[in-house]
This record gives sequence, structure tokens and C-alpha cells, in this order.
Amino acid sequence: MAIITVNGPLGCGAVIIGQLVAKKLEMDFVDRLIFTQAARIIGTPVGALIAKEQRVDRLRDRLGRFLQTMLERSAMSGVSGEPYFGRGIENLPPETYLDMVNQSSSSIPSIDDKTFIEAMNTVVNDLHKAGNAVIIGRGANAILADAPDVMHVGLLAPAEVRVSTLMQREHYAKSEAEDVVVELERAREEFFRKFFKFNPNDPDRYHMVLNMGLMQPEAAAEVIAHAAGDLLS
Amino acid sequence: MLTGITLASPTKEDVQRLSAWLEDPEVNASWYGLGDDGKPLHAGYVPSQVLDADEEWERVFNDENRRTFSIYTGEGDHIGEGQLVIEWPLQEAQAYVLVGRKDLWHQHFGTNGLIGLLDYAFNELALHRVWVDVPDYNEHAMRMVQHLGFVLEGHFRKSHRKDGEWYDSSALGLLADEYSRRRPHAVAESR
Repeated sequence: MAIITVNGPLGCGAVIIGQLVAKKLEMDFVDRLIFTQAARIIGTPVGALIAKEQRVDRLRDRLGRFLQTMLERSAMSGVSGEPYFGRGIENLPPETYLDMVNQSSSSIPSIDDKTFIEAMNTVVNDLHKAGNAVIIGRGANAILADAPDVMHVGLLAPAEVRVSTLMQREHYAKSEAEDVVVELERAREEFFRKFFKFNPNDPDRYHMVLNMGLMQPEAAAEVIAHAAGDLLS
Repeated sequence: MLTGITLASPTKEDVQRLSAWLEDPEVNASWYGLGDDGKPLHAGYVPSQVLDADEEWERVFNDENRRTFSIYTGEGDHIGEGQLVIEWPLQEAQAYVLVGRKDLWHQHFGTNGLIGLLDYAFNELALHRVWVDVPDYNEHAMRMVQHLGFVLEGHFRKSHRKDGEWYDSSALGLLADEYSRRRPHAVAESR
């Protein structure tokens, strides 16, 4: 019972291609459900897991806001015992810095890395045991890197293709889509580096890498399905 | 609340109408089909049982983990039912919408009813995710939820049983921030 993982930057068409492959090969299709199932194991809202995947941007944004706020306070106070953060900032305990950087605008709790990765491993390995599924991203290719009966497919596409996909699918303005593509790709790379210690764009990690700037999803699905017949039979 | 649709607590008359709608083979065929006893199935409760016993009515319609609403048109016609089955620790709910009035199918009443439920889920209950389970035989429901921006999270073979047969089904989810971005487009296109 085989598993195919499909992994690529946002806007590459992994979801469409994955669905086409699943249909052709009569397999289950699993995308964000990995997170929702892991969230169920942990007993936390799924946003806590999505935040893990997109953590690098959120942290950067929050840090930026934190620094800006402190600079504004410093400028407004006019006097300062510390040139950037203003008087008194040096007296805050270290955990307060972390709390401020990590504070969320919603009520979604944060989860620790160990809990997160254990739950992800459980869900992905259960899917592998059940077999016969196409899994989209979420580190499944890393978790199942050495597992038998698994084919890993990598996707890539030029930024303009990914921006265009996001504009159509998510109703983003062009500049917003450009920002999202850059930020979420950085987050994806950071997610893999942190939890799996490799770059997700390393072609050595895949049985094949397809350039979706030069192929239609139907053709890609045909290639993957054909290769799966050879590799997983 | 969305223009033209009102969500209200169910009355006994509403449940009687719902029960009559479910007797229609075309309505129950698009819903959960028939049980082993040959009677139409419904989500969450058995209409005849809540009508027959006050305790059952109380249990079903005052359940803190399930919110059930009758869907009314702006003109005050009862046309269907919506439910949210809530998992508070996960801040999420599964949504169900049934338009029982066949003459009003494919006129955006189901879409607007679901928008009303989503507004309630995200704005009143402050939930983080709403999801739906759509069997492959209900293509109209699939188009409706995708139109509202629900994201396909998984598709499973032979996972939904109806009338003794197994059908494929899809789990689709919508997060609060996704909904806030997509709602204006969905509402504009559902008028």
C-alpha cells in the first residue's frame, strides 16, 4: 500500500496535482487534515499548528511591532536611560521579552516543538500504515524519508506563476500575493530547517522534481502516476 | 446577519416541517438517506423523538456542544435547518445546512444559510475553524462550500455510508482569517 508525498512552495499547484494523482490512482488525498488530526491529538486549535509552520514570519512581524512600539515610546518619553528601548526596559525579566514577542492577537495557545513534532509524526506514520494516500506537504516527505513504499515528489515554479495562483485563489492584490509568496516560502524553508534539518528545495530529497512553470497540472499528475506505477509496484 | 436570511431557535412546528421534508425521497437522498428501519436519517437527532419527549427536546436544543437553528427567509418562511457541532477545546465546529424546501434549491438559500452559520461561529462563538464533511454524491453542496472558500483538507474513499452503499467524501475546512478575507466575495456572488 503506497504513499506519495507532494511538496513545493505555495502556489506551485501541489493541491491540484495531488488531487489529480489521487483520483487517477484511487488513493486518499490528505492535505491540511494532517494538522487538524494532530491538533486533535494535542487537544489544541489547529491554528497553533499552522502557526508552527508559519512561525518565522509571525515572530519577525511581532518582533518588528515590538521594536517599533518601543522606539515610539522612547521618542515620546523624551528621556531615556537606554538609547533604543527607553527607560526601564532593562529591568524587564527575559521571559517578558519572550512573552511580548510571542504574544498572539488571537486566543490560540502556543504549543512546544516536541509536542508538535510528536503529534505530526503520529499522524503521518498512521497514514503510512494505512497506505494508499497522496499527502501534501506538512513535512510528510521528511517524516517518511526512509519509509518503504513511499514516493516523494518535489515541485517548483517561478515566483510569477505562484503569485498569479494566489491572486486567483485567495483574492489577494498583486503586491499582497508577492509578499505572501516570499514570506511563506521563507517560513517553509525555516520550518524544514528547524524540524527536519534540511532545505525542502534540495532535489536530492525527492524521487523527482517537476517545474510547474513549464507543465500543466494534468501532465504533472500523469507523470507522477506513471512513475508511481514503476516505483511503488 | 445576512440580508434575506434569519437564524432562529427551532419551534415544534419547525421540527414537524423538517420531518415532513425528510420524508421526501429527493430531500433525504441528498442528505443522509434512510436508516435500517427505512426511516429518513437526520444529523444529531431524530425529529419524531424530540417532538414526542420534552426531555429529548431539552437535551438536543440546549446542548452546549451543538447549536441548532431554523433557517428563515426575510419574508418569514421556514426553509431549512443549520447546525454547528462544537468542539470547544479545539475551537472548531462541524457545520450542517439542510434546505428542505426543494422549490428553493439552487437559489443561494443554502449558501446564505451557511454564511449565517459561519458569521455566528466566527463572530459570536469566536471559533477558529469550521469544517464540513461532503459526500461525493452531493455535488451541489461541494460547489457551495468551495464557493464560500472552504479549503479541501482531505478526500477519502468509501468513507460515507448511505442506503447501504459506501461513497467517497471530502473534509473541507475554513479558518477564521480565511473567512474574513473571502466573505465579501462570497456574499457579493450569492445575491
